[in-house]
Amino acid sequence: MGRIIEEIYVWRLPVRVYHWVNALSIVALLVTGLYIAAPMINPPLGEAVWQHNFVMWRYVHYCVAFVFIGNFLYRMYYALLSDDHYAKFGGFRPWSPAWWGTPFKEQVASYLFLRKDEPNYVGHNPVAALANFIFIFCGSTFMILTGLAMYAENRPGSFLDAAFGWILPLFGGSYQLHYAHHLAAWLFPLYVIMHLYAVFRHDIVDRTSVTSSIITGFKHKVEDEATV
Amino acid sequence: MPDKQTFAEVFQSRGLSRRDFLKFCSLTSVSLGLAPSLLPKVVHAMETKPRTPVIWLHGLECTCCTESFIRSSHPIVGDMVMNMISLDYDETLCAAAGHQLEEVRRKIMKEYKGQYILAVEGNIPTKDDGVYCMIGGDSFLNVVKETAADAAAVIAWGACASFGCVQNAKPNPTGAKPVADVIKDKPIVKVPGCPPIAEVMTGVITHVHTFGKLPELDRMGRPKAFYGTRIHDKCYRRAFYDAGMFVRGFDEESTRKGWCLYKMGCKGPTTYNSCSKIQWNEGTSFPIGSGHPCIGCSEPGFWDNGPFYTRLADVSFLGTDTTADKIGMVAVGAAAAGAAAHAAVTAVKKKQHDQE
Repeated sequence: MGRIIEEIYVWRLPVRVYHWVNALSIVALLVTGLYIAAPMINPPLGEAVWQHNFVMWRYVHYCVAFVFIGNFLYRMYYALLSDDHYAKFGGFRPWSPAWWGTPFKEQVASYLFLRKDEPNYVGHNPVAALANFIFIFCGSTFMILTGLAMYAENRPGSFLDAAFGWILPLFGGSYQLHYAHHLAAWLFPLYVIMHLYAVFRHDIVDRTSVTSSIITGFKHKVEDEATV
Repeated sequence: MPDKQTFAEVFQSRGLSRRDFLKFCSLTSVSLGLAPSLLPKVVHAMETKPRTPVIWLHGLECTCCTESFIRSSHPIVGDMVMNMISLDYDETLCAAAGHQLEEVRRKIMKEYKGQYILAVEGNIPTKDDGVYCMIGGDSFLNVVKETAADAAAVIAWGACASFGCVQNAKPNPTGAKPVADVIKDKPIVKVPGCPPIAEVMTGVITHVHTFGKLPELDRMGRPKAFYGTRIHDKCYRRAFYDAGMFVRGFDEESTRKGWCLYKMGCKGPTTYNSCSKIQWNEGTSFPIGSGHPCIGCSEPGFWDNGPFYTRLADVSFLGTDTTADKIGMVAVGAAAAGAAAHAAVTAVKKKQHDQE
């Protein structure tokens, strides 16, 4: 067991709040979304007009979706306009060949057990940054745009329709849009599994307290070098 | 009937009063959803405009659009075909046939150059030079191109001509295409549906005749007046949807009670059409009204969004019963298995290292 030699404040409060709001809304959106696609609760008793069993699932889905969108925009705002070094995605430069060079290759090699030592990053390592970009940034953007396009279908001619209705023909039709939204939703549980596994594994292998860092904000450096 | 007769003249020649003529005009504007202030415009158009020549071509199709069209009640299709438009070429409805009929088509194309409306019913097969649909000794592909060249506008009747129907569902052996994929330089109004509602078809023609231009179209090229909202938005079973009271099988009590058909694969929530408003056969009923889920026949690619009785479509390239949920669950399962395997290797490596 290594002795803690340094404590680094990595995730400031706005990042931690974003993370947990994001995590909880994804869970809520996934559960309500899958229910909307395949409702299974027994029908209520009584006259239909007084019941709101199914419409409530949609209502919660929409409400949480707007929390999710606001949270996403807030995180983008924080990344662009704050001075928080670890929150700015500054090191993520996938358009530059250099970014795909040694650090990325070393991290991939480490995950594939091709190297003994584990590269250590205070923020996200390059593979994690790429995964976050694909699943969280691109995935969320896709879900938000397709979701708003479907939401706009409820009000033809509205502001939302003008702003996002153009997305619908890109998919062929409303049904294909629904299908794409449904299929893409599965990116999130896929990501959550990989994310949780990577976090727990890193915590065990590097002992950097990465699991608790998203609650406390602090990561640790320990005395002996991490090895696999 | 003399050429270039106006609608009012037709009424006169039949001994009908001006009062009847005005009654007809107001009924037509009501069925088009026009404001009362526009009635003089309709009257004026009917009095002064010569009947619009229409060439109606039939391609790779089942003629269900024509079958629907001839059942229009507001306005009655007889009035429309005989009086409002001059339906000069239509294989199904014309008395003439063969060379005579082809001669009429060429005559109209010459005499009314840039003025006539081309109505297309059916897909256009494009594979192997369009040999899979031959009309009068030429391929339908050539006939459409030739006739569209001098047309003022094109009306695409039905799912086939609008988006492609069963003929261009996967794997589309004849390379069948909707009109918009073949004719690029003409204004096209799409009137999808398999078939479209009769009153929607006659409504579109009346609009074109009255105002001399195509109706306002949405992003998909459909008339907004008829395809502006989803069937779901005006479905009389919507209350059961909101309440979560769903039909779970056709042999259940819930079916007899007329609950929502959402779980039976009803495509009403994703289908833009007027079935729940105008309904069919003079407003008698519509599919959901008769207890059957909407199959989404006016939506692009509706044959490939099947099966009709499930909510999620199959993904054909991954086997016939693969849905989004199965793909997702397999991917998530694979990720979990991958993580477990990776964890096992990590543990083994760590143990080896600790022993060293």
